[in-house]
Amino acid sequence: MDNNLQQTQPPATQYWKSLEELAGDPAVLAGKQHEFQAGVTDDFDPQAMSGISRRKFLAVLGASAAFTLASCKAYRDQGKIVPYNKKPEEILPGTPNYYASTVTTHGEACSVLIRTREGRPVYLKGNPDHPVTQGKISSHFQASIMALYNPERVASPLKGEGGNFSPATWQEADTEIIAALKALGGKKAALVVNRVMSPTTRQVLDSLMAAYPGTSVYSYTLYNESARDSAWKKTHGGNACPPIKWHEADVVVALESDFLGAEGDIETEMRYAQRRDVMGDKPFNRLYAVEGPMSLTGMNADYRLRLRPDAQFEFAMSLLNEIKGASDAEYSLSSVAKKHGLSESVLKLLVGDLKANKGKALVYAGSRLPEAVHVVANAINDALGSTGLYHTAETPVEHIPAATPEQWDALVSDMKAGNVGVVVHLDSNPVYHFPADLGYAEALGKVGLVVSLTKEHHETAQNSKYVLPIHHDLESWNDYKVRPGIQLLQQPVIQPLHDSRQQEAALLTWIKGDSAAHNEKLYYDYLVGAWKQLHPKLNLLVDFQTFWNSALHDGFVTYSESTPGVGAFKGAALSGLKAIKPGSDMLVVLQRGFNVGDGQFADNGWLQEFPHPVTKVVWDNYAAISPATAKELGLRNDDQVEVTVGDRKVVLPVFIQPGTVDKVIAVELGYGREHAGTIGTKVGVNAGVLRSHKQQDNPWLYAATAVKASGRHHLVTTQTHHDFNIPREQDLHLKRKIIHEASYQEYAKDPNSAAFHGHHLVNITKMREYEGVKWAMAIDANKCTGCGSCVIACNLENNVPIVGPEQVDRGREMQWMRIDRYYSGTADEPVVSQQVMLCQHCDNAPCEVVCPVNATNHSPDGLNQMAYNRCVGTRYCSNNCPYKVRRFNFFDYRDRFAKALYRKDVHQLIHNPEVTVRSRGVMEKCTFCVQRIMYARQEAIKAKRDLKGSDVVVACQEVCPSDAIIFGDANDPESKVSQYRKHVTGYHVLEEFNARPNVTYVATLRNTHA
Amino acid sequence: MQVANKTNAVEGPDFSKETPVVLSSPSFHDITEVISRPIESKAGMKWYIALAVAVSLFMLEIFCWGISFYYGTGMWGNNIPVAWAFPIVNFVFWIGIGHAGTLISAILFLFRQKWRNGIARFAEGMTIFAVMTAGLFPLFHTGRPWLPLYLFPYPNKHAVWTNFLSPLLWDVFAVSTYFTVSLCFWYVGLIPDFATLRDRTLGKDFISKVRKTVYSVLSLGWRFSNRHWRHYERVYLILAGVSTPLVLSVHTIVSFDFAVAGLPGWHTTIFPPYFVAGAIFSGFAMVVTVLVFIRYIFDMEHIITIDTLEKMNKIILLTGTLVGYAYGMEFFIAWYSGNIVEQFAFINRAFGPYAWAYWIMISCNVITPQIFWFRNLRRSVPIMFIASIFVNIGMWFERYVITVTTLVRDFLPSSWGWYNPTLVDFGLLIGSFGMFFTLTLLFVKFMPVVAISEVKGVLAQAKPHHHHGGGHE
Repeated sequence: MDNNLQQTQPPATQYWKSLEELAGDPAVLAGKQHEFQAGVTDDFDPQAMSGISRRKFLAVLGASAAFTLASCKAYRDQGKIVPYNKKPEEILPGTPNYYASTVTTHGEACSVLIRTREGRPVYLKGNPDHPVTQGKISSHFQASIMALYNPERVASPLKGEGGNFSPATWQEADTEIIAALKALGGKKAALVVNRVMSPTTRQVLDSLMAAYPGTSVYSYTLYNESARDSAWKKTHGGNACPPIKWHEADVVVALESDFLGAEGDIETEMRYAQRRDVMGDKPFNRLYAVEGPMSLTGMNADYRLRLRPDAQFEFAMSLLNEIKGASDAEYSLSSVAKKHGLSESVLKLLVGDLKANKGKALVYAGSRLPEAVHVVANAINDALGSTGLYHTAETPVEHIPAATPEQWDALVSDMKAGNVGVVVHLDSNPVYHFPADLGYAEALGKVGLVVSLTKEHHETAQNSKYVLPIHHDLESWNDYKVRPGIQLLQQPVIQPLHDSRQQEAALLTWIKGDSAAHNEKLYYDYLVGAWKQLHPKLNLLVDFQTFWNSALHDGFVTYSESTPGVGAFKGAALSGLKAIKPGSDMLVVLQRGFNVGDGQFADNGWLQEFPHPVTKVVWDNYAAISPATAKELGLRNDDQVEVTVGDRKVVLPVFIQPGTVDKVIAVELGYGREHAGTIGTKVGVNAGVLRSHKQQDNPWLYAATAVKASGRHHLVTTQTHHDFNIPREQDLHLKRKIIHEASYQEYAKDPNSAAFHGHHLVNITKMREYEGVKWAMAIDANKCTGCGSCVIACNLENNVPIVGPEQVDRGREMQWMRIDRYYSGTADEPVVSQQVMLCQHCDNAPCEVVCPVNATNHSPDGLNQMAYNRCVGTRYCSNNCPYKVRRFNFFDYRDRFAKALYRKDVHQLIHNPEVTVRSRGVMEKCTFCVQRIMYARQEAIKAKRDLKGSDVVVACQEVCPSDAIIFGDANDPESKVSQYRKHVTGYHVLEEFNARPNVTYVATLRNTHA
Repeated sequence: MQVANKTNAVEGPDFSKETPVVLSSPSFHDITEVISRPIESKAGMKWYIALAVAVSLFMLEIFCWGISFYYGTGMWGNNIPVAWAFPIVNFVFWIGIGHAGTLISAILFLFRQKWRNGIARFAEGMTIFAVMTAGLFPLFHTGRPWLPLYLFPYPNKHAVWTNFLSPLLWDVFAVSTYFTVSLCFWYVGLIPDFATLRDRTLGKDFISKVRKTVYSVLSLGWRFSNRHWRHYERVYLILAGVSTPLVLSVHTIVSFDFAVAGLPGWHTTIFPPYFVAGAIFSGFAMVVTVLVFIRYIFDMEHIITIDTLEKMNKIILLTGTLVGYAYGMEFFIAWYSGNIVEQFAFINRAFGPYAWAYWIMISCNVITPQIFWFRNLRRSVPIMFIASIFVNIGMWFERYVITVTTLVRDFLPSSWGWYNPTLVDFGLLIGSFGMFFTLTLLFVKFMPVVAISEVKGVLAQAKPHHHHGGGHE
């Protein structure tokens, strides 16, 4: 078409390509129009071939593409996004806000900073200003945020009839409760509470008791220190035994005490670790553990002796005699050693150390030992002149003394007799916690009105007429005082998610006797009122509002408060002691649940899935027995054993734990909950049924019989069972230079003796140079106790999914960090080494070279990074990782776990918005908290300064109570991490693999005598 | 000759003259008839039953892939540390099976091994099907199998390039190249035979018309002209030349998946030759397993002769012994290296929790082929059938031992694990045989299972000095 036009009209401007063209050679001019001059016909006309023009074709193409696009659906429903209509002043999208507040567990309170994003709390970190905890936080407090977003929280009041619940209203419940309280007449009412830690709550309880005569408060804590405290009362006077200045003790003898594990707290770990610091100037302490079951403390001990817990009295008495130089035929160390097969040489060293370190040596009896042992331990410490090691300024404060066993007996018999009109449970679960022979659950049936104020449904709520939802800590106002001179404040950081009420506000409504009296500010006003009374007592220069605001800002106030010192030792306490004779039968030791606490964390997936620090078992409890006892009873791992105490029985799966003393069955409490939601119900076995209310003087140790029961129950562990019988599998952690160990005594004389001797590694290629910041980590194995706070913090920070026991059993746990445990020595007397393992961010990362799609690669600041949306999931990187720290999403675990419970809307709020929630089919691993690095970098750019290593604190480092994790800039010679990298004890795991890892480990220095 | 036999008085082969590749001296037409018969006659009941079984298993595979796709790779037993397991074992196994075809058709062609002509076509077909079966595994084995595009270096706006350092990427190229070249080679060889079939399809019914059309298209206008033959021979030679290095490269690169990784038991330089030998070993065994059936069912004993099978068995003996040498050498090097992790890995293989798999591998792969030292056993069809099946079991276990025992226990004892395959894993393994045999059965029904023109080329009458009317005994 156009051709014809061109042919007929001469070109307007003369552009020519050849002389022939210029000359107007007709053949050339004709040829110009034919691209394929020879052999191609001239009459090629696209329009003739098709009815559709090019224009039309393109139009149709475009339209069909548009239709295709229109029919596309989002990969996953994104939900609705509603922007702010009026933006709240303090919220800057993408920028976290921190609020100081307090979180609690049953019996403990911790000052925290709550990170909120766009108005929702997503992360808890310790309050760095707090003078005692100094920004540290334990895993239970960390994980307690899960309870806020628990999809199975009680969302609105429930009214029950024989265990079936129907929705009710607050007004209905309040009216009935107030009526019942008013109509008590001569009857009694009981308020059953966990340890009350708030002075203001106590005031509320007092006024309730005043408003309704006949009402009394019964307080209890399942894991209490009653034996320790009553022994202290007898030996030194005062109400409670003060905590220990662990950082000042040179020698510690732990008698059946897991003070570094389930019985410990943040302060203990922090202070203990100060004496295990290669960078510090104080010498290492020495820890002797004398215990029956293997505990975290025993694993960390320099010397460990196996002793039946019921022989601790004998042992302590003999030790006392030895220290005093008294000779006593009944209690002499050598006869006790012979009787129980203890190593005499170790005992000699122990006694020698105690005597040589008078004033700095401490014998510490465990919480589960009876009062008599504590009395003897106090006597030993007195004889050693070590009373200065008691931290009297931190003696625990009790607002309401725990109800005595006799008071409980009286209450239950009153209930059974129909003399109790109302029982209110304030966030407490006595039906689960109390021994069955107290008969509490049956007695509840005789009570006119049973009420449970609770966050989650539980066994006691199941027996209640009203189940009333209360606020989570993060929705509540309150104050707490657990030690002298510091009062913590709690402020809400989110609007109540459900139709719940502040527990104290519900009580205040009842006190007012009018169901309409409730409003959201009821308890806030009350609390402010209480603090207005506190304010003048402190003699501050500032007015109340300033005081209140600064207290809210800081999360606490401190004031000086005098505390009584350690009273003189009363020798009479010793003379009246009832001797405890060790039995020769099986002994059941009921231990504190390390992960689930007293059962309140049974529905917390993070904690359930955290491998138990000793056994590495997840989602279960078990009977831990020694290999010899297993042989005697004909038991193998995963067999079931029936343990009988009196007429009480329980069937438990067997776990053969090296290092357990023979004839002892160690079981953890807090499992086997009957009503703990989808996650927590029927996980493990409730060993609490073995307890007897009558055995109050020794509530955790029971003589028992054990026989093999039928059936097997598979216990899921994250580390395979260690076989002590195969020589080639022994001590591999030492042979392969995974863990480097040395003697502290040698090191103290000559630090070079602890140096790691590897081969000099030569690279044939030039290593990449890192300019600017290069991230690196150091892990001090001496400070690390293996508590696992880091793992929980990592889960929380990095949206690590929970996979459930079946998947863990398949080897698919997702935790980015793990704590490796190695045994050497014999199965009876194992020596334990622990190692925190996470991505080593190798310079020569083996994972990076094998990824076909470049999904894992190296950043200029030395991070081994994962591009999740590039990852296709070949899993080659994991194969080639010598540390096996990579985790693969074999499923979409949020969909798969517990019927997609954690996919529910409310739970989704828990996710850290800074971290991608990984889809199925992608690999993930520790990122060195790259989101925190990026945030710090952004801040540095905004402030126009260079990013420094100290600007970034990673999650695991942040929480580690013992500061065993150090993170920073390896290129900065001044940084702490460089000091560790240069330190003589520093080494890398599998150094000769030449991956050039960037996590430096400090050699484990054992403070033995040799 | 009969005189010689008498004087020698020894039973056995007569080495004084070339063994005929095809027995009983059939005419050209006989050859065409025999080979075309299965295609042109109505399929028997046996074929339908076999196909039904194979397709059922194939459906099982499709089902298992479906649920793996829908729920995720978690449906398998894979875990951390055993991130690779059954699917990779199956992949390497099937790729290995696929080695015999190209070796027979290309390398033996270049070496002028005329005995190959009877089995080359089938072996090549087997290669194609085995590579197809194998190829599904790495593709669907990934966590996100809907993103295979990421494995190809295509320019994209993210400016992300593939990682050419990764052996998995080499795999992508090695396997796809191998498949493409093998397919071309196979197809080029089929062209004259398609033309033969086209010319023989004379029926006027609908089926025959369809058949004729298909064969006409596939034969690309082949007219048996001298010029066609000249081009054909040249292309065939070139493709044989191109294929030859691929025989070595594919399994070398597959072995790099392991050897380039740093794990004990994987990181060894012996892997490439050892894998290639193993691949030829298993490929030949699979050819033997299937051929003894085919020659029996289709009356082709005179075309696929016992002499040919014997030669195959000799290669099985050779490669099996090579593989045995590699097993021994791995142990020696582990000891000689002084690397305690490496030493542990091998002792753990032979005496650890997976010792049963290791000893299955040793007895099937090293001990079983030793029976072929004996001529009687080498020439016994039942014996070679059973032995070849053992070899394939052994070779599957070899890959299982290499993949799983190394991953189960590598450097850090803390991360040692265990591997339990799931039903889906077994479904995929069994189903992959379904896919392979479905394709094989369709092949033997619709395509000439023996290269008609090539077999004719090795007949006595094809030789230039052959004179008509004589020589037939």
